[in-house]
Amino acid sequence: MDILKLDDQELKRRLAFFELTDEDFKRLTALKPFAERWTNEITEGLYELIMGQQESRAFFPDQATLARVKKLQNSYFLGLFSGTYDLNYVRDRLRVGTAHERIGMPPKLYLGAYRRYLALIHARLQDHFKGNDAEAFKALSTIRKIIFFDMALAIDTYISAYLETMTRHQAAIRELSTPVIKVHDRILLLPIVGTVDTQRAHQIMETVLVQIVEQQAKVMILDIAGVPVVDTKVADHILKTTAAVQLLGAQTILTGISASVARTVVQLGVEITRVHTRSKLSEGIELALSIVGKKITSNRERAEGGGA
Amino acid sequence: MPYGPIPILKLGSTLLATIQIELHDTVVDSFQNDVLEEIERTGSNGLIIDISALETVDSYVARMLANTGKMAKLMGAETVIVGMRPAVAATLVRMGYFMEGISTALSLEEGLELHARRSKLPDGMVDS
Repeated sequence: MDILKLDDQELKRRLAFFELTDEDFKRLTALKPFAERWTNEITEGLYELIMGQQESRAFFPDQATLARVKKLQNSYFLGLFSGTYDLNYVRDRLRVGTAHERIGMPPKLYLGAYRRYLALIHARLQDHFKGNDAEAFKALSTIRKIIFFDMALAIDTYISAYLETMTRHQAAIRELSTPVIKVHDRILLLPIVGTVDTQRAHQIMETVLVQIVEQQAKVMILDIAGVPVVDTKVADHILKTTAAVQLLGAQTILTGISASVARTVVQLGVEITRVHTRSKLSEGIELALSIVGKKITSNRERAEGGGA
Repeated sequence: MPYGPIPILKLGSTLLATIQIELHDTVVDSFQNDVLEEIERTGSNGLIIDISALETVDSYVARMLANTGKMAKLMGAETVIVGMRPAVAATLVRMGYFMEGISTALSLEEGLELHARRSKLPDGMVDS
């Protein structure tokens, strides 16, 4: 609903685009007795199609569900002829769309069922108008407008639901791609796994800088063991991040440099000597500790030191 | 000018300048003058510039700050820039401006520590 930005203005635009006019509304209201007379039959006809095919039948596992959705279908049908097509009507229609999306009903079944629905209504209309084809045609055209109006809303809810899921996933991926870990007091570690493109490099720099200031870290260890290829671009990004860290008053240690990465970097002529580098993360952590004035000792060593 | 001069405080052998206002070109110029004159007057051997209040630093200001640091060094005072914001650091680096030769520290406290550590080095000018 929020994504669709539905307000009075948008509602007006939508109604106008489907060419729904006051005349249509009047005609729909006048068809109310027709709807009440035939709603049960039309619903039954619709579910005959749905229950006749395995794929669609699977969505209605038991009789109770079936009875419930048929009842909903009837009230949906009568809603078409209620005469008021305001934001409340739209909200109700969006709920229908959301319900279909939530149970995972694909749009093809939803739209396919609508086709049968229109055919059923058409047949009943011809009976209703007893050979007055012109009137039957007008009525059908009006009903088609409101049904297409409804379908558009339903499809929009499908799309907006997918968009929301996608946005959520993207945010999750973004967060996962820069997990800053506190190794020790004032020492942070960022393991970089996977390809580093420009966008990610910016994000890495931002996260690193913000985390350093927030946690008042002295040392940031960047472990690039998980980066498959280090080319000039990636090296440049890393150097820039290092320089920015320096501006804040902290230091960077680059670890996880494999033989092949070391070879490429030197062959590419990237000047990387100003950065502390270590091949293994454990060595990087030791170096970081020494920068903050600490070191790892074995228990025995400590006991001996204490005894002396 | 709506801005007064940037106050420069003396803490032992160190000068401390906290920049609280947006740095326009004219302010930077007079700041540089004030700092150098103050170093000359007091004979301080350290200068700490706190820029934690600055949300943006353009290339001119960055260059002026770095130059001030170099000039101070010629007069025997080591400069430490403290409290740079992440966004400022990122922008400077992206502009290709690395402020080489200037020391930096995360906070004023760290800047003072760094300076204390330095002044204990060789030439023995240790004050208490």
